[in-house]
Amino acid sequence: MKNYFHEIGLWPSADGIARAYVIGFILSLALTLIAYELVVQATFTQQTIIIVVALLALVQFGVQVRFFLHLGGERSSRERLAILGAAILIVGILISGSLWIMFSLNSRMMPDSEQMQDYMNAQLGF
Amino acid sequence: MTDHQHTDVTLSHEDRAADSTTLFGFWTYLMTDLVLFASLFAVFAVLRGPQFGGASIQNIFSLPFVLFETIVLLTSSFACGLALLAAREGKVKGTIFWLCTTFVLGALFVGMEVHEFAGLVAQGLGPSQSGFLSAYFTLVGTHGLHVTIGLLWLIVLIVAILKRGFSRGNMRKLALFAIFWHFLDIIWIFIFIIVYLTGSL
Repeated sequence: MKNYFHEIGLWPSADGIARAYVIGFILSLALTLIAYELVVQATFTQQTIIIVVALLALVQFGVQVRFFLHLGGERSSRERLAILGAAILIVGILISGSLWIMFSLNSRMMPDSEQMQDYMNAQLGF
Repeated sequence: MTDHQHTDVTLSHEDRAADSTTLFGFWTYLMTDLVLFASLFAVFAVLRGPQFGGASIQNIFSLPFVLFETIVLLTSSFACGLALLAAREGKVKGTIFWLCTTFVLGALFVGMEVHEFAGLVAQGLGPSQSGFLSAYFTLVGTHGLHVTIGLLWLIVLIVAILKRGFSRGNMRKLALFAIFWHFLDIIWIFIFIIVYLTGSL
């Protein structure tokens, strides 16, 4: 059972996995602290901070998938990587679609005052 | 219980195929869980803005507290990886030690979350106060529920390893638990950054 994790395809190789965990841990810790400091210090504009921090989240996602879950280009992880890709596609459609629909609905529910006046004139005879 | 107790048998071809299929199947479940979390994130993103007089997202969270929570969960995820490394070396004591570390850190995380929730409710900021708070409690609470279930699984796993050592079944459970735990850590990264960090801006 010594090479069990490698044999079932969880680990891409039988050795050298300790290094991956340590690298993953240090990188994740660093990315978390950088994101935290950026928000707490607030030296940049709000929009810049949101974009940078969102990118840091995506980088950390990649780091943990690579170094903790050991998914990469190896043969052993190809199927799990493929279904992860499909899931990310669904997640992207779900989140961007929800935001798109709700915010567009939001702006449609708030006509400007000129439109509102026209409507009231036409419909209610004000 | 002695250390270095791997018997030198390698998996038969059938066993290997069966266990990598199990790994794939469990991963597929995690991906459906990812979609569940994505829908909760979408709800949160839609509801976080207008509160209509309810509490707004700024100033209700303590960022240093949540940063500590994040580091605790990340360290727990790392400890779980170390448990797998010890298991590979056939070290029962080492594996149990790292799994217990994983458990203690995970329990600390859940404890901190419960403390935070209780604090919000005590301030009158319960889940029924506004759409934003409903979405917040649902998203963060669903993650916390997953971690809690993971802790129960971990207790069963520790007992199983103490009883039967590194049997094939225990190695398989260890592998599945590890990806479950790492997955929850990844979800938390997004909660930390999207809910807490950008929310406090």
